[in-house]
Amino acid sequence: MGKLPSTILRRPSLAGTGSYLSSTTSTSHNASHTILPSPSQCATPSITTRPHGQVQVRHATFVPRPRRPYEFTQLVQLSDGSTFTVRTTSPLALYKSAKDSRNHILWQPSEKSLKNVEVDEAGKLAAFRERYGNAWDLGAPSSGSAAATAAKPDEAAAAAKAAAAPGAADKKAAGQEKTAEEAKPTATQASAPTEAAPAAPEDQFDSLVDLISAYATEDKNVKGGLSAKDQAKKDKSGKKK
Amino acid sequence: MASLRGLSRPARSLPLSQLSRQTYTAGSIRCASSQAAEAAAPALNDLEQSTLTAPQLSPEEKKEFRPWKRGADRKFQLPGSRYQYHPPKYERGPLHPIQSPPSSDPIARDFVPGPFNLPRLKQTYHSTIAPDIMTLTYMHVPPGTPPKPAPERLRAWDGSSPYHKNRPLRGPMGNSVLPLMERHINFRNIPEIKEVTLASYVPEAIKDPDHLLVARSVLLALTGTTPEITHTKSNVVQWGIKAGEKAGVKTTIYGNAAYEFLDRCVHLVFPRIKDWKGIRATTGDDSGNLSWGFTPEEIKLFPEVEVNYWLYPAKMLPGCRVYVKTSATSDRQARLLLQAFGVPFYGPVRD
Repeated sequence: MGKLPSTILRRPSLAGTGSYLSSTTSTSHNASHTILPSPSQCATPSITTRPHGQVQVRHATFVPRPRRPYEFTQLVQLSDGSTFTVRTTSPLALYKSAKDSRNHILWQPSEKSLKNVEVDEAGKLAAFRERYGNAWDLGAPSSGSAAATAAKPDEAAAAAKAAAAPGAADKKAAGQEKTAEEAKPTATQASAPTEAAPAAPEDQFDSLVDLISAYATEDKNVKGGLSAKDQAKKDKSGKKK
Repeated sequence: MASLRGLSRPARSLPLSQLSRQTYTAGSIRCASSQAAEAAAPALNDLEQSTLTAPQLSPEEKKEFRPWKRGADRKFQLPGSRYQYHPPKYERGPLHPIQSPPSSDPIARDFVPGPFNLPRLKQTYHSTIAPDIMTLTYMHVPPGTPPKPAPERLRAWDGSSPYHKNRPLRGPMGNSVLPLMERHINFRNIPEIKEVTLASYVPEAIKDPDHLLVARSVLLALTGTTPEITHTKSNVVQWGIKAGEKAGVKTTIYGNAAYEFLDRCVHLVFPRIKDWKGIRATTGDDSGNLSWGFTPEEIKLFPEVEVNYWLYPAKMLPGCRVYVKTSATSDRQARLLLQAFGVPFYGPVRD
């Protein structure tokens, strides 16, 4: 892409101080009150008194040619496929935007797919959080009961165990893997122990997380695991509940 | 088809008048207009003679037609080009015989072509936003309600001295300027965008004037107008600035360009800023002009800068401030307008 001749600018040190911006300058003769700096351009029949007592006479006012860069007509395509034309200095004929107001949560607050939901099917993030806590995460929600449980992830996990899987608590050997499996995202940790009673979800959009947590707590058959068919059946029944 | 064309070919060689005469004789309809045309036929005869009906040139005549020979034999020069009017370079006053054409005339020196499109934000404003704002801010006043007396904003003199007579009223306490009063929104007063000013303060330009060049070209790319250079206003030794040094650029865009710039900001640039909450709701100068800023990292999200980002030295890329001037006379009305345009605000409001 070569340089466009219209976008080549003069060096500012050499450029005149007068503005060449006056594209809106009409030909009306209202210039009598302006003082042009250089005497070559100066002067109207009107007379302006200067502070030193000199009298400036202007016989002619320069009509500047507007200096403006070339403007292209550009077709802008937003991320939802809608297009519109703009006048712009950018020489691209088509501008496709990847991120714009059509796929941003601030402008589309009801769009679920734009929500920042933690997808943690394997439970790895929860395992990490259980092991190291989330005190390092400044942006983590740390209010109310969720914070209380988040501060003591071991206790929360133990409580979850006691509530959902009483038999599993004494299985010390399987304890490590079990807690890892059982741990849930922080947002739902508070509601997990009281899961037997249908706790109101704190966030309506966390249904996926809820489902995962239910899956983690209900799983009593730690050793054997389930076949794919049994698993699907169980998921179905879990959903019905 | 071929037969039709064959039929028409001999008919085409005849003059039109004859043709028309034939059709009229063939038809049995007689009307006054056709008779008039017939009467006028000899007068129009030379008009109806076209070059198509003229006989073709003979080879001798073709040989004789040598315009280049005529040009070579010509003893005198033809006039160089056609006369072309150039508007005067200087305005010499309303009484001068030489007058400039109006700026709307394409040959005028200050002519700017356009507009070339209708910005969609402007279209939305006129079709949707303006009526919505007018409707939603409607406050019913039962007819016959006496108008509220305007509050006295300037203080009167108490008249304790004879010299108080005919004195102008005093300004408000504690403030030398009178703040604007909010006007009610009605069908004649719906807030709209007047202009958008972009300003960039580049104090590094005092040491290295090349910063100004970069700032200028960035603002030029963003707005499509040539920016003007601003100067420092005051001496601050600690900052190393002296009054009157070139240290910034600014430009103002009006009308369609302003709408398009806002559109680009709202729909293309703001969503691409990382962790952006919106514009602080406390912005504004209490008289309906809102402003915000772009850091150098945000400036390069503009499509115009992004497209030839290599053009600008990365370390010299300036930030810029954006001032949106609206016709609203209070910040809350201006915020209402910009919210309708899609600008998100956050934080406490200050009215």
